[in-house]
Amino acid sequence: MSEFKIAQRETNNVSVLELKGYLDAHTAPKLEEAFTQLLTSQRYRIVVNCKDLSYISSAGLGVFMAYIEDVRKNAGDIKLTNMSPKVYNVFDLLGFPLLYEIFKDEGEAVRKFFEKGR
Amino acid sequence: MVQVLVVAHGGTAHQNKHGTMRLRRILSLGGASILVLIVFTMDVIQKNVELDISGLWVIRNLLIIGATVLVFFFFELLKPQRDQNAVKKLGLLLIASVLMLLVGLVVTFVAQDGFDSKNYSLIPLGYDTLFLASFISILFGVFAILVFRLVRDLTMYKRKKGTQRNFLIFTVLLVVTSGATIGLKPLEKEVIVSILFGLAVTFAIVNSFRLSWIVYLTKREKIFSLVYGFFLFGAFIVLNIILQTGVVNKSLLYYSYPLSEFVSLVCVFGNIYFGMAFVSTLFHLPTAEAFDRKTSEVSSLHNLSKLITQVFDFGELVDTVTTMTLQVCEAKSCWLEIIHPPEEIHRQADLPGSSHVIAGQYHIQLVGMKNITRAEVDALLPAGEHTVRDEVLQERRPIVVDDVYHDKRFKREKKEKVSIGSLVVVPLVSHSGLVGILYATKDTDHSFFQDDVDVISAFADQATIAIENSRLIKTSLERERLTREMMLAQDMQKRLLPQSLPQYLTLQIDAISTPAFEVGGDYYDFVRLDERRLGIIVGDVSGKGVSAAFYMSEVKGIFQALSRMYPSPKEFMMKAHEALSSSIDKRSFISIIYAVLDTTTGELMLSRAGHCPMLLVSDNHIGYIRPAGMGLGLSNGEVFSQSIEEHTVQLRPGDICMFYTDGVTEARRGEDEFGYERLLDATVAVRKKHASEIKHEVLESVRTFTEHQANHDDLTLVVLKWCGKGQEN
Repeated sequence: MSEFKIAQRETNNVSVLELKGYLDAHTAPKLEEAFTQLLTSQRYRIVVNCKDLSYISSAGLGVFMAYIEDVRKNAGDIKLTNMSPKVYNVFDLLGFPLLYEIFKDEGEAVRKFFEKGR
Repeated sequence: MVQVLVVAHGGTAHQNKHGTMRLRRILSLGGASILVLIVFTMDVIQKNVELDISGLWVIRNLLIIGATVLVFFFFELLKPQRDQNAVKKLGLLLIASVLMLLVGLVVTFVAQDGFDSKNYSLIPLGYDTLFLASFISILFGVFAILVFRLVRDLTMYKRKKGTQRNFLIFTVLLVVTSGATIGLKPLEKEVIVSILFGLAVTFAIVNSFRLSWIVYLTKREKIFSLVYGFFLFGAFIVLNIILQTGVVNKSLLYYSYPLSEFVSLVCVFGNIYFGMAFVSTLFHLPTAEAFDRKTSEVSSLHNLSKLITQVFDFGELVDTVTTMTLQVCEAKSCWLEIIHPPEEIHRQADLPGSSHVIAGQYHIQLVGMKNITRAEVDALLPAGEHTVRDEVLQERRPIVVDDVYHDKRFKREKKEKVSIGSLVVVPLVSHSGLVGILYATKDTDHSFFQDDVDVISAFADQATIAIENSRLIKTSLERERLTREMMLAQDMQKRLLPQSLPQYLTLQIDAISTPAFEVGGDYYDFVRLDERRLGIIVGDVSGKGVSAAFYMSEVKGIFQALSRMYPSPKEFMMKAHEALSSSIDKRSFISIIYAVLDTTTGELMLSRAGHCPMLLVSDNHIGYIRPAGMGLGLSNGEVFSQSIEEHTVQLRPGDICMFYTDGVTEARRGEDEFGYERLLDATVAVRKKHASEIKHEVLESVRTFTEHQANHDDLTLVVLKWCGKGQEN
């Protein structure tokens, strides 16, 4: 079973988390940690790039639910991008597209923050 | 004399435990008394009637020797009841000696020399002299026996082979010397007796080197022994002088030459022995403290090694460790800090009075202290600053701070609050890493020496093992508790699933649910809404274990209650969301698929809340039915209600509806998933079979796909096959 990795970078004052591998109950705490860190350093504009995310379980989805409320309270958002069809299907089944903005491309998501900002 | 006898009898009477012992004591003492009385009678008669029987002296001496031996045995028989330590015995003997000395001095200086010497014999002039001589002789005889016994016991302490032999030689010489005088008149001298006496004294000196009892005394006892030894030595010198001169000497010689010889020899022995004891104690005194400490170290280490098995109460263990640390190095105060492994922090946090210090990657907790307060420790080693604590953590070896007051590692204003001269810090290191840190302090500076550090280190090793064991036991107990909890949850979950399947003529139903771990998050259920309609539900609670089982039971309650009230699946979903959203944790959610089947017409109404779509295998449609709808607990009621759709399907005979959880589609083989297509193909391939067989075959396909590896996720499958009216199962 391949592991789970997170790479973090900043583009135009937007924090981008790149997820790679399997996000399940075992690896979810890693993502939680990353979100907690962003929130404590008051970074609320978050884009999660799922390009290399090969699997997400319900526990993985729960992580997004745990932080979205706080992020939005602080005029920020979590936007999801670059999902493989398989991963998108998991999000879609649960109705996540109703709750999160999901983009094909990371740049699009980042731009969306500035449209709103203006 | 008679009075002495009575007192002695009184003494024995209440001590008796065994009849035979008592009898023997009475016999020995009674025998001795009778012998003494006979001798006394003889003396009185001789005083009045001039008897000139040559053997009379010998008979008289034999009687007195017999009496002495009997008294000796009388005291031997008392032995089991008297088990005092050496110093106490010395003290008692000192009292006896002083009394004897007083009696002796009074007799020497006050009493008249009432003896007439004639032809080497001593003849008492009056009855008073006769009485006095008898009394003094008996008194000294008994005293000599007591001294002999005491010195014998002391000499035999921790005896070796040679010890016993040397003392036996002395005893034989003592007996022979005394016995050799049996035929002598009181004022006669014999060279052989003098030689024997000299030999006996030589062996008395040899025996006087046996003083090993002194070594094992505590410092306090040694001081007492020193004082006693000194006074005993002095008392015996005077006693010996008295015994060799004046009235006492004459009285004893008159009474019995052998007894006089015995008393003299024993008193000389006592004199030498107590003199030696005094000198020896004097030499032992400087090392007494070190000896005391070594003794207490040994006993503390021994106690701690016993404690290793008593590790169920951690608080008690900590208390023992700190108490013993004080003991082994005579520290003023000490405290113990425990280092928690990072993964244990959240569990230990609820320990009483916990205060955590984080130094580097270590989480340190002060768990026990003696003669020092938490505030003082904090002042001495402030959290967040670089202290000796960090140094020990880094170097993992004991560190001694000789002068806390002038040490740069301690800040001046902080250390003034705590009166600590020197400090030793010892890490508790086990094979798995650092377990804790032990601190000990003394009032004065430069007070910890290398041997202190060695002792504390040795002690720390023992403590480490004890603490490690305690932790291991705690972990295993915890694991056991969790396992029990899991089994309970598993049991509860099994009972949440339907115990029997609903029976309809028009319908075949089968279902299975297998949890991945002990407790899963999958749920399925059926409810007869009325005589025609059947409610079917399949759900998946995010997360696993006990919390999942808890949510499941909630879902079951809601399903059983609401399904009958709201026959439309969409309405049911909305009400279920309402009921659940208040109690559900924000990172958890529940996905549900809910269908209502009219068992007379085959009309199926379907709603989905974030769950896997229903698979329909029908003549005119093979594929997934996926009405829109988001999971329960993800958002507020409005968004949820708007997302829910309802779908109606008209079933025809032979149609198959399959409900399942993501454990089926996400069953994995390496990177590959079983997926929707394989599920569809597997179902279509067996569509002609009975619902039970379909269930079995599909499950088998999944298992074959995963190569029978343990399933990664829970797996639930509910198969419905519509047979239609008039068709038998």
